[in-house]
Amino acid sequence: MSKRSSELTTLTIAQAGDLLARREITATALTEAFLARIAAVDHKIASYITVTADLARRAAAQADRELGHGVRRGPLHGIPIALKDIYETEGVLTTGHSHLRKDHVPSVDAETVRRLKAGGAIILGKLATHEFANGAMTPDQPFPAAKNPWNTAYQPGGSSSGSGAAVAAGLCMGAMGSDTGGSIRNPAGFCGIAGIKPTYGLVSRCGIFPLAFSLDTAGPMTWTVEDSALMLDVLAGYDPNDQASAKAPKVDYGAASHRSIKGMRIAFARGWHEDATPDTLKGIDEAVRVLRDLGAIVEEVVFPDLWDYHICGRVIITVEAHAIHRQEVIETPQSFGYTTRRRFQLGAFLTAEQYVSALRFRRQLQLDTRAAMRGYDLILAANQWGPPEPFKEPQPIFHFLDKASFAMPFNVTGQPALTLCCGFGSDSFPLAFQLVGRPFDEASVFAAGAAFERATPWRLHRPSL
Amino acid sequence: MDDDASPTLEEFRARAALSGLPLTPEDIEELHKGYVGLVRLMVRIPKKWDWAAEPPQVFRADE
Repeated sequence: MSKRSSELTTLTIAQAGDLLARREITATALTEAFLARIAAVDHKIASYITVTADLARRAAAQADRELGHGVRRGPLHGIPIALKDIYETEGVLTTGHSHLRKDHVPSVDAETVRRLKAGGAIILGKLATHEFANGAMTPDQPFPAAKNPWNTAYQPGGSSSGSGAAVAAGLCMGAMGSDTGGSIRNPAGFCGIAGIKPTYGLVSRCGIFPLAFSLDTAGPMTWTVEDSALMLDVLAGYDPNDQASAKAPKVDYGAASHRSIKGMRIAFARGWHEDATPDTLKGIDEAVRVLRDLGAIVEEVVFPDLWDYHICGRVIITVEAHAIHRQEVIETPQSFGYTTRRRFQLGAFLTAEQYVSALRFRRQLQLDTRAAMRGYDLILAANQWGPPEPFKEPQPIFHFLDKASFAMPFNVTGQPALTLCCGFGSDSFPLAFQLVGRPFDEASVFAAGAAFERATPWRLHRPSL
Repeated sequence: MDDDASPTLEEFRARAALSGLPLTPEDIEELHKGYVGLVRLMVRIPKKWDWAAEPPQVFRADE
């Protein structure tokens, strides 16, 4: 691959957007550079299930024609991105990484895909995922497991596994993930990229395979925080076809990512991660120091117990996922991977009373979290206990029984939660933390995250493949 | 069976037979472990609630 091509695939969305707008590069050159890199290295990490090269080339040529006539549709015009393979795409295979949908070709785009295309984004293809955004990546599924580009013997985290791996490896400029119990933030953390679970209701889920209706969110994963803000600018907005969609005011997230954070008040949930690895503790403490140096006020605050959020979310996911997949686990149980099948079956054993109690507990946790956060703009929390897991068989069926998730609190409360890289451990894996805003205040989250990235060198370090 | 008690494997088999799911013996053993694990953690979820504690499903921007 030429030097010029490798330079193109390490541009951020913001940088590439400026160059495209000034006609210093073309969408076609950018797209060809990514297609060449996918052909050269994706066999090492298996992040793509389907590469839509011809469609991407046509969309890039169209973007170049428009940009040549001075028409710029927005920050993603001419930008190559990819989609977790649970996003329905007109005329393009959408598998959910499952035998059950391995021949499924939708006739309509998901609303998010429609918005991305309308914004001029170039779709490079569909990315590996944990089966139906839930099961582990096991050999009984129709596509190989995505691997962590920092060390391919390790998992990239999930369920948006291919999205995290592809962005970190420079195989797309941004990717769509989904997050029901941490599925954007886990791979973002383990792959050393940025990813935001938006406020529940901000981004349409219409046309995305559901896992748990009352917790599912869709969001972007990118190399930088600013790039996630630019993607969310295109994605956010009311959709009458998603019953959870909110009529929230339009915000310029890209502009927000350049705001000062001087005087911003951040509640630090230190009590949650005292048993994390020394590298993780060190990385988060250093992140706190950087944010204080930038003028933020960071204070330790006590939140409800992490396990309370964790079990609340797990009961809701278990029951709702069972309701969605019940028919198929009855009719074709053998078509699921061995972890996915059991996770979807388990909901049959929970009662209506247990489910409703979990819903009521969720409301209580929302109120208690809001009370603890009073007087603060953001929450700072850990993202992961330590490095990612190595690949091994068999995999745990009910992985969620051993450790509480740092991501789940904000699925339960619905708040926007951003994961970003805060350095590298002694094992060379990325470290990460979360910045969490009030509902619909993604702007403050982006401001703090982007300021942190500009003040640290971590975006200069890429995995080598 | 009390929904909140941890069932024995034998008790769980009886319940599995009524679930409507085609389950292998291996499925049932795995599901038993998962169910017992969940029930153990679910003691954290209160059972007595005021009606006012009904949860909303969606955040509102003006809430």
